[in-house]
Amino acid sequence: MTRTPQRVAMLAAFFALALFVAACGSSSNNTSGVKSSAGQKIPQGKQGGDVTVLSAGDVDYMDPGQMYYTFGYMIGYSVNRPLYSFKPDNATKPVPDIAASEPQISSDQKSITIKLRTGVKFSPPVNREVQCKDIKYAMSRVFSANVPNPYATGYFGTIQGAPKTPAKGIPSIPGIQCPDPTTLVLKLTQPKAATVAAALVMPLTMPVPEEYAKPFDAKNPSTYDTHVAFTGPYMVKNDAKGNLTGWKRAKSIELVRNPNWDKSTDYRPAYLDAIHVDEGNADSTVASRRILNGSHLIQGDGAPPAPVLKQAATRFKNQLVLVPAGGTRYVAMNTKIKPFDNVNVRRAVFAIFDRNAMRLTRGGPIVGDIAWRYIPPGIPGFDEAGGLNPPTDPSLDFAANPAGDPAVAKKYMLLAKQQGVPVTADGKYAGKEKLLTIATNADPGKKSAEVAANQFEKLGFKLNFREVTQDALYTKFCGVPKAQVAICPNVGFFKDFVDPESFINPTFNGEAILPANNTNWPQLDDPSINKAIDAAAILAPGKQRDEAFAKIDLDITKLAPAVPWLWDKTPLIESKDVQGVADNYSTVWHLSFTSDK
Amino acid sequence: MLTYIVRRLLWMLVVLLLISFLTFLMFSKLPSADPVSLRAGRNATPELRASIRHTFGLDKPFFEQYRIYLAKLVPFDAHSGFKPPDFGYSYQNNVSVKAQILDRLPATAGLALGGMVVWLLIGIPVGIISAIRRGRIEDRVAMGGALVAISAPVYWLGLVALYLFSKDIGVIQIFDGAGSYPNTGSLFNSPFTVAPTLFLPWLVLAASFAAIYARFLRGNLLEVMAEDYVRTARAKGLPERTVIFRHGVRSAITPIVTILGLDLGILLGGAILTESVFNIPGIGRLAFDSIQKSDLPTIQGTVIMGAFFIIALNLVVDVVYAFLDPRVRY
Amino acid sequence: MPLLEVEDLKVHFHTEDGIVKAVDGVSYTVESGQALGIVGESGSGKSVSSLTVMGLTRFFTSARISGSVRFNGKDLLTASDEEMRRIRGNEISMIFQDPLSSLHPFYRIGKQLVEAIQSHRDVSKAQALDRSVEMLGLVGIPEPRKRVDSYPHEFSGGMRQRVMIAMALANDPKLLIADEPTTALDVTVQAQILDLIQRLQSELDTAIVMITHDLGVVAEVTDEIAVMYAGEIVEKAPKDTIFASPEHPYTWGLLRSIPRLDLPRGEELVPISGRPPSLITLPGGCYFHPRCPYVRERHREVHPDLDAVPGDSDHSVRCLLASDTRKRLWRELQDGKDPAEARATAGLDAEEVAS
Repeated sequence: MTRTPQRVAMLAAFFALALFVAACGSSSNNTSGVKSSAGQKIPQGKQGGDVTVLSAGDVDYMDPGQMYYTFGYMIGYSVNRPLYSFKPDNATKPVPDIAASEPQISSDQKSITIKLRTGVKFSPPVNREVQCKDIKYAMSRVFSANVPNPYATGYFGTIQGAPKTPAKGIPSIPGIQCPDPTTLVLKLTQPKAATVAAALVMPLTMPVPEEYAKPFDAKNPSTYDTHVAFTGPYMVKNDAKGNLTGWKRAKSIELVRNPNWDKSTDYRPAYLDAIHVDEGNADSTVASRRILNGSHLIQGDGAPPAPVLKQAATRFKNQLVLVPAGGTRYVAMNTKIKPFDNVNVRRAVFAIFDRNAMRLTRGGPIVGDIAWRYIPPGIPGFDEAGGLNPPTDPSLDFAANPAGDPAVAKKYMLLAKQQGVPVTADGKYAGKEKLLTIATNADPGKKSAEVAANQFEKLGFKLNFREVTQDALYTKFCGVPKAQVAICPNVGFFKDFVDPESFINPTFNGEAILPANNTNWPQLDDPSINKAIDAAAILAPGKQRDEAFAKIDLDITKLAPAVPWLWDKTPLIESKDVQGVADNYSTVWHLSFTSDK
Repeated sequence: MLTYIVRRLLWMLVVLLLISFLTFLMFSKLPSADPVSLRAGRNATPELRASIRHTFGLDKPFFEQYRIYLAKLVPFDAHSGFKPPDFGYSYQNNVSVKAQILDRLPATAGLALGGMVVWLLIGIPVGIISAIRRGRIEDRVAMGGALVAISAPVYWLGLVALYLFSKDIGVIQIFDGAGSYPNTGSLFNSPFTVAPTLFLPWLVLAASFAAIYARFLRGNLLEVMAEDYVRTARAKGLPERTVIFRHGVRSAITPIVTILGLDLGILLGGAILTESVFNIPGIGRLAFDSIQKSDLPTIQGTVIMGAFFIIALNLVVDVVYAFLDPRVRY
Repeated sequence: MPLLEVEDLKVHFHTEDGIVKAVDGVSYTVESGQALGIVGESGSGKSVSSLTVMGLTRFFTSARISGSVRFNGKDLLTASDEEMRRIRGNEISMIFQDPLSSLHPFYRIGKQLVEAIQSHRDVSKAQALDRSVEMLGLVGIPEPRKRVDSYPHEFSGGMRQRVMIAMALANDPKLLIADEPTTALDVTVQAQILDLIQRLQSELDTAIVMITHDLGVVAEVTDEIAVMYAGEIVEKAPKDTIFASPEHPYTWGLLRSIPRLDLPRGEELVPISGRPPSLITLPGGCYFHPRCPYVRERHREVHPDLDAVPGDSDHSVRCLLASDTRKRLWRELQDGKDPAEARATAGLDAEEVAS
C-alpha cells in the first residue's frame, strides 16, 4: 500500500538522526601530542574551588583495613595517610607520610624500624594526635575475622605472632612493637623485610584509633566502615558521633577539608576546598562526554570507552592524560590441561597471536604498548629484561612479532607433533575436543576475548566459548582450578605496589596456586621457576634483586604459559577548567594535587 | 467484597513466601559469582575465605540458611509478637538491605509515577483521536509514531534523548541531563527541585508505554464503538461527543486500568534501563548491581519487594475494577 | 401528507470485496398513527433501510445512499448531521433486538433515560427523572421509582426491553422503529411486549415500523406489511391481504413455514430451500429465481418491477408470473399440494415452450 514507504521513510529518518548524533564526534586517527603522566612535573595549583568526580560504582570500603579496589584508593588516599606513599611524579620510590623517615632494615632482614611524624591529628570527633599505638591497632585488626583483608596474611604474614587464620576479636601481635609513641618496630619470622617494607604503602597502615574504633570492630563484620576517623587533608563529612553522613552509598560522597590537618606535616598541597563524588554513572560514554564538555568534572572509575577516547585524543588533547597502569594483560592457557601441557603448543599459540588486533579492541595504540613479557613498565626489572622493544633472542622468536608469525607458529606446532601432540602436517591442531574458554560478557573485554578466540582457531583449536560476568569469571571459573578452564582470555595482573615479587609470585609460582581466588591462572608449576622466585624474594631491594626478577620474567616467558598482549596506559579525562594531576601509583586523578584552573 | 480482599491478601502472602524460597534456591545453587570470593579479594587464604563464609552463614546447610532468613523476614516473633521484617545485610557492604531499599524507593517511585502520568496524558488522547479518525492522516501518523516508540529500545532512546536535549552534552540544550537527579531529596519532599531532573527520564520511560496504551485504547475504542449500546446512544440522538466519551471511552478505558496497575507494579520493582542511563539511584540499579555481585540478601530483598508491588497493585486494580464495572461482583 | 415517505432508497456499501447492495430500490409509506411491518430474512436489507431512515448509516465511509426519505415533508438524506441528531430519539425513535447489549452496562437505567430526555428537552435533571419514572410505569415496570436506580444487568430480558421502549418513547416520537424487538425474548414475554407496543401505539398515537423475520409477530400489530428479499420489496399489501391472498412465492414460503396450531402435530415444517443470495453478486434476472419452485427461463434474465396487482392498487408484487397464475398457485398450495405438484397443475412447464 502507498502508506508503507512513508512509514519506512520515517523510521529511516529516526535512525539516520541517531547515527548522525552519535557520529558527531568521529575523528581522524591523529593521536599525537597526548600527554603521558610518566615523568610528569607536578604543576603549581590555584588554591580553593571544588571538583566533582563522576564514577559508575561506589568505593568498596572507607575502612582502610578493608579497602581493596582502585576507586576506593582514589578517595581513601585523600582522606587518610599510610606510613609511606607515592608522590604523583614518582611511582617507584615512596616517600615518608605518617612515617618521618625511611624505614631502617636490619642486616638480617628480619626487623624494620620506622620513626613516626609528630603533629598529625585525627579528624573530629577523635581530634587527638596519631601515635604508634594507632598504627599497631590498624595493622592488628586486619588479622581479625571481623575485618577481612587478604593483604594481611599475604604481605604481613611474616610478622611474628601474626595469626594464620582470622582471629576472633582483635589479636595481640607481639611482632608489632611500640617502644615509644613515635617509633614502630616490626619483627619478622623470615628475612622478608624488603617485601614487607615495600608493602608499607598499603592502606592497612593508615592509623586507626583503638578507643574510638573498638565498639565498631567488636561487631562481625566490623561497622568501622561507616565511622572512619581521618588523617588526610580531606575527610568525609560526618556528624558529632563520627557517623559518615557525607557518604550516601552508591549515590555520592562529600569530601570537605579536615580541620585538624596540618599542612606543615604533609607533602600534599590540597588545593581544593571540597570534592563531590557523584556515583551511579553507569553509562561510561555519557559520563565521559559530560566530563569533556562540562565544567569542574573529572573521571572517577571507568575509563572512557574507545570512541570517546579517540575523540578526546584529537579534540580534547589538553583534557587527557595517559598513565602507565603498571599492569599486563594476558591470555592464560591452563598448563594442566592438554594440549596446553606441552610447551611447544603454547609457544606456537604465542607466535600466532596478532597482538595488534587485540590492542585494537581496547582502542588502539593510545591505550598502551604491546607486551611480550609479564613484568610491566614502571616495575623494577622491566628495563633489565629488555624494555619495550621486542626480543631478539632466538629462543624467544615466538614473541618477536606483535602481528603474529604463522611460520614460527607452524615450527613449534611441528615440534609438538614430534612429542606426540596430535598435529596435522601443515601445523594445525588435530584434536577434536572443545577447549573450555571463559570470557567476560562486557565490552571491551568481550571483544578482546573474541579476537583471542580467533587466534586459537587459526591454529585449528576448537573452543567452547562462554561469556560470564567479570566477577563470575574470577570467582567461579578462571580463579578456581577445579573448574578446569582451558583458556582465560581476559586475565592479567595489575600492581599492588612497586615490587617485582608481588608481580611474579602470585601469578607464576607453583606454590601460590590456591583452590579459590587463585591468580596463577595458567597454574604454572615449574620447580626451577619456583625455586628461583623464592631465592630472589629474599634479596634486598636493589640492582641484584631487580636483575634476578628480570631473568625470572624472561625464563617464564620462554615457557609461554600465557600470551601477554598489553602494557596498559590508563586514560584519565578532566573538564577544561580543571588542572588534574595524575597519581601514577593508583592510576587515577590525585585529589590532593588537583586544582581548578 | 471484604472476604474477597482478605482472601487475596492471604494469597499474596503465600506467593511471596514461594517467591522468597525460589529466589533463595536459585541464587544459592546457581550464583552469578561467589560472594565469598568477591569479599575475600585476590589471593585470599583458605582460612580467610572460611572465616568470611562463616560470617555470611553460608557454611550452614541450605534449609537451615533459609529457615534463618525466613525467621528474620516474617514480621512476627514467638517471643516478642510483632516485629518489623528484617531483610538481612548486604554481603557487599554490610548495609541493611531494608534501609537500602527504602532509601532508593522514592527515586523509583518518582520515576514510575511521573512516567505513568506522562504516558497517560499522551497515550489516552492519542488513542482516542486515532480511533475516531481511523484511517485518516492523524491515525496513520499516530500509529506510525507508536510503532517507532515501541520498537525503540529504552536504553537507546535514553541515549538519543541525552545527546539531543540534555543541558550538558546535548545538541539542543534544554533538559537536565544524566546525573542531575539529586543524591538527597526526592520528588515527594522537594518536587520543584527534583521534577525538572526527571523530565527527560519521564519522556523516555513513557515513550513505549504511551505507544502501547494508545494502540490498546484505539483497538478497544474501535471495538466498543461497534457495540450495540453505542448504536442505541446514537439512536437516542445524543451529541456525537457524548456518544464517544460517555458511552465509548468510558467502556474502552476500563481494561486500561487493569494493565496500568500491572505496569506500575512492575516499574515499582525498578525501571533498570532508564535508571541506568540517567543515573537515577533507584531500586532497579540496586537489583542489577546486586545480581552482578551475587549479593544474595539484596537480591532477595529487591525481588520480594518487586513481587509485593506487583501483587499489591494487581489487587488494587481488581478492586477498582469492581467500582468501574457494576456487573463485577466479588 | 404521509408521515414517512421512502422513495427508491438505495444503500450500497463499497467494500474491498465488491459493492454490497444492501438496499436496492425500496419504497414505502407510513401514515401517522399507522403500523408498517417489514418482513424478511437476515440479509434482506430490512434493518439497513431503517437505520438509514434514522441517519445511522451515513457514518459508514463506504456507504453510498441515494433516493429520498421524507419525514413530514423534510428529506432526511440531505439533512445535516445536527438536524438528524435532533430528530433521532425525539421525533423518530428506534428500539433494537438485544436489550442487554443495547443498554450501556455501566450506567443506571435512570441515567440512560435522563440523558435521552435531556438531549432534546430543556428540563432539569429532577424533571427528566420524573418523566423517566413516569415512562417506566407506563411500560409496566413495577416500583419504577426504586428501579430507576438499577443497572441493566439487574433486569430480566423482558423488563429490559420495556426499559428500551420507555426510553424510546420518552420524548413522544411520532414514529417508532422496532427492529426485531422480540427475537431475543422467549415466547410468553414476546406476547407481552407486542401487547405493550400495540397499546402504546393506540394510547400515544405513534406510528410504528416493525421489522421482523417472523410473520407471526406482524400478524397482530401491523396495518400494512412489506416483504423484503435481497434488498428489495417483493410484496407489499395490507396485512389481511398478505395473509389471505399473498402473491409472491417467497411470501408463500414464509407463510408455510410458520408452525401452526391448527395443523396436526408431527407435520413437518416446510422451509424455503436454498439460501439468501450474496448481496455483492446478485443473481441475474429475478433475485429470487434460484430458490423459486416456479421459476421459468425468462426469470433468469429479466428483473421484475414492483407492480400493482390488477384490481387492487394497495397490493404490489415483484414477480414475472401473471397474477392469475399466482392466484392459481396459491390455491393449489392452500389445498395441500406441495410446490412441485402446484407447479405442474398450474401448467407452468407447458407454457415454458411458448414464452
